[in-house]
Amino acid sequence: MTRWRGRLLAGLLIVTGIVLPFGFGSASGFMNATIIAVAYAVMALGLNIVVGFAGLLDLGYVAFYALGAYSLGWLGSGFFFKAHIHVLVSAVADTLPGVHLNFILILIGAAIICAAAGALIGLPTLRLRGDYIAIVTLAFGEIIGVVAVNGQSVHVGGGMTLTAGNLGISAVDAPYFPGIGSFGLLDLRPWYWLIFAILLVVLFVNLRLRDSRLGRAWVALREDEVAAVSMGIPLVKTKLLAYSIGAAFGGMSGAFFGTYYTEVNAGQFQFGFSIFILAMVIIGGLGSIWGAVVGGLALGYINNYLIPDVLNGLPARLGLNFQLTEVEFGIFGFLLVIMMVLRPQGLIPERRRRLELTPPDAP
Amino acid sequence: MSPIQTPAPPAVTVLRAEHVTKAFGGLVAVNDISFDVPQHSIVSLIGPNGAGKTTLFNMLTGLYRPTGGRILLGERDITRARPDVITQHGVARTFQNIRLFGAMTAVENVMVGHHARMRAGLFGSIFRPPWVRREERDTREHARELLAYVGLREPVFDRLASHLPYGDQRRVEIARALAAKPRLLLLDEPTAGMNPQESGVLTEFMRVMRDDLKLTILLIEHDMKVVMGVSERVTVLDYGKKIAEGEPAVVRADPAVIEAYLGRQE
Amino acid sequence: MGLVHHLEPVETTTISPAPPPAPPPAVAARPLAAVRRYAGRWGLIAALAALPVYYGISDLTHGYQAGFVAGHAVIHHDLSKLGFNFAEGLSNGAIWALIAIGYTLVYGIIELINFAHGDVFMIGSFTAVGLWATLGLGLTTGALGLIGGLIVTLVITMIVTGSLNVLIERVAYRPLRSAPKLASLITAVGFSFILQNVGLLWRGGSPQSVNDLIRAQQPVFTIAGVPILRGYILAFAVMIPLVFALTWFINTTRAGRAMRATAQDPEAARLMGINVNATISLTFALGGMLAGAAGLIYALYETNVWYFQGFKAGLIAFTAAVMGGIGNVRGAVLGGLIIGVIQSLADSRLGPEWTEAVVFGYLIAIMVLRPRGLLGEQTREAG
Repeated sequence: MTRWRGRLLAGLLIVTGIVLPFGFGSASGFMNATIIAVAYAVMALGLNIVVGFAGLLDLGYVAFYALGAYSLGWLGSGFFFKAHIHVLVSAVADTLPGVHLNFILILIGAAIICAAAGALIGLPTLRLRGDYIAIVTLAFGEIIGVVAVNGQSVHVGGGMTLTAGNLGISAVDAPYFPGIGSFGLLDLRPWYWLIFAILLVVLFVNLRLRDSRLGRAWVALREDEVAAVSMGIPLVKTKLLAYSIGAAFGGMSGAFFGTYYTEVNAGQFQFGFSIFILAMVIIGGLGSIWGAVVGGLALGYINNYLIPDVLNGLPARLGLNFQLTEVEFGIFGFLLVIMMVLRPQGLIPERRRRLELTPPDAP
Repeated sequence: MSPIQTPAPPAVTVLRAEHVTKAFGGLVAVNDISFDVPQHSIVSLIGPNGAGKTTLFNMLTGLYRPTGGRILLGERDITRARPDVITQHGVARTFQNIRLFGAMTAVENVMVGHHARMRAGLFGSIFRPPWVRREERDTREHARELLAYVGLREPVFDRLASHLPYGDQRRVEIARALAAKPRLLLLDEPTAGMNPQESGVLTEFMRVMRDDLKLTILLIEHDMKVVMGVSERVTVLDYGKKIAEGEPAVVRADPAVIEAYLGRQE
Repeated sequence: MGLVHHLEPVETTTISPAPPPAPPPAVAARPLAAVRRYAGRWGLIAALAALPVYYGISDLTHGYQAGFVAGHAVIHHDLSKLGFNFAEGLSNGAIWALIAIGYTLVYGIIELINFAHGDVFMIGSFTAVGLWATLGLGLTTGALGLIGGLIVTLVITMIVTGSLNVLIERVAYRPLRSAPKLASLITAVGFSFILQNVGLLWRGGSPQSVNDLIRAQQPVFTIAGVPILRGYILAFAVMIPLVFALTWFINTTRAGRAMRATAQDPEAARLMGINVNATISLTFALGGMLAGAAGLIYALYETNVWYFQGFKAGLIAFTAAVMGGIGNVRGAVLGGLIIGVIQSLADSRLGPEWTEAVVFGYLIAIMVLRPRGLLGEQTREAG
């Protein structure tokens, strides 16, 4: 579409996004699901860079959700009780032991920590072929999960441990902005606007990167690695950038989840989550920015609203002996199979670009 | 003609291979090959299938590491250099089987060719300060110019590379290589799959390219008419060894070369 | 710039060339390749032997705690505990070996990881346990009836899981054979989730204990102080004949030859008149059958089943397949046994909460430093 039409549409979407909460109850299940869905969309955008742009099949993305959440747990709670660091936090948090940074600083911290982790995880995969990359990243994801659970026995000095295992780091700070105050749990609207703002930022970065020298380099590497390096694209640096940036976005979303769920618990980080985010990217359209957003929102709503709140009683009304939440996994798997067989390019195919998944003879 | 004649400048060697060898386990694909490519010349590398030509190319561009020997680009030793670094120093190539980026348009393919000469990094790409915007614009314009230069018609510039007819794809590949602003252009069987008329046109174009852009061209070719028509020097490989080298007419009459081609049932 | 275009646009009607594609050159990897060259097979063996050797020496020198007597810890300085680790490890390993063979056969023939394979194993366990109830096998069943019943269970379970694997191939893999590998991987993952949900609905979310039909923990005899339990004998008694039967089948029969040919070069096999589709289905069937057998052994040996057991087992068995050399049946068996020992050592010495990290650490190291494993051939790398 033309540039002005595109801008008008974008403006419309942004305005809609901003006024959305006024149409729904400030603490409703719908708002809750929307907040989670938008946070998922941020994650999907991150994974889209790794899998969609650069073509690196990462099956361990949950690792960055975990690291992002733990960044919040470390930098925004009383967990490291020996420390006394406070930066731009609420009056209450100012008096508490631990590390308490302003949420924006925590976001940046999470992004940096995850970017480094992403590069570390990506490093061993640089020489590997597609399915091997999948397994290695999956293995890393599992290892991080194990470390999260067992972190309560890993001592970092002063009687403090790395994580709180399955008990979880609770009593994490809510976001605080001078002039606005601390976010509470009764009014979900500030939370929504915060994650919506984060989405806009991440979206902006994605759009800029896609149509840039770096974005072209990623697609070139994905399409034909040999030709790409022969054209002067540095393999290691470009791939690691993809992993890092993708991870950074996942970490930012993870940090948000940490504070939104008010605890960081090792049980939150399972392999299934990696597949969940991957499904969002694929169902939305691999490599497509808007596809990732749509996929994230769609699956977020299905998972957190449609199935548990709206349709849960459906099987019972049909005379079947289970609730819909119990077959969530299976529905989800079924969606994946159907999508791959019927429409592998996703709901919104990558703009003007042939997808990795369409058969070679498609028009 | 002026009565005062200035002496010709000494020939500069753009590429020199010294005793280059490549062994894959027990198989020696390239065996102790030495040759050089003078600046602004067009040199052809010929030989029967399996003689080691593409393997040699792959070593010159850094995709394979030689098992022995040295490769010098000008004064610089590029024997162990990474492919992208070699491209930065002025070597670009096309491939025997076209390797375009199918998911990108012709223009974008050529823009990728310019990657090593651009400076926009991560933050430049995100924030797009004026110099980055200018760089993008210039790169895109230059890409379109190159596509026109190689003879592509405007309407197909923004078509997906995988949707282009074969001949156009070959041209895009050349334009992409040219976008890297190389000193040395390596063409791997550029006329493969072309009919005689097209080959003739491309042969002429190689000379034009060389003159316009001050290039040095090294090509692998099977089409003898092209080889004889465009090369200033021909190097012949067989079973990984150099068996002849010199002017086209001389090489063509060389008995060893004839035997290599005829003595083998192709 | 002022370039004038010299090449006249010509309507091309060229024939596509058909030169044989040169093998795609792997982009040279500098420092990692050097490490890999030196690592080699012996490096891998050393890395694998590290744990047992370390703990063996530690047991002999520092000793290990073998119990309490009158308030004091009893410290032994022998290799019994290590021997116990080995005995248990090898028996677990036999189960992993059977599952690993399924991964390796499928990967060898279509170069894809069957992500749902572990869950086929889980369905095998569930089916077997279900059949016990149907056949009336219980704790009071006599020896003869038990053996007969278990053999029937084995056969039926193998048929079920074999068919299930074939179904997965037909639905998840065959339609996507021309699509890039990513598509098949995703469908397999989708299937994995579907199967897990089936397990979840069948027997709930927690591990469920089942009847200890063969008294798996009962020692039969002792070797050098290490008790050999019934469960161990069962594991090998089922694994060894099955592996022999499979190897015989692959090496001797026509269908087996077809499998080997297709694994080497599907196009050539097709040109030779081999029905490639049927051969691939057969491969999946065999892999599935072995996974089913593994499922039955697991249920008898561990005496509990869980809908999530397939995911864990799948990753461990895949590690085994890669360690032994993906595509190589002997490698899968060897890898399975080795992983079993490593797992047992990690469980008993580091604590079961760290075992997964250890196994996956090995997986990553192998895939990065020596992808061809112990017995595999040089695998094609990135490209």
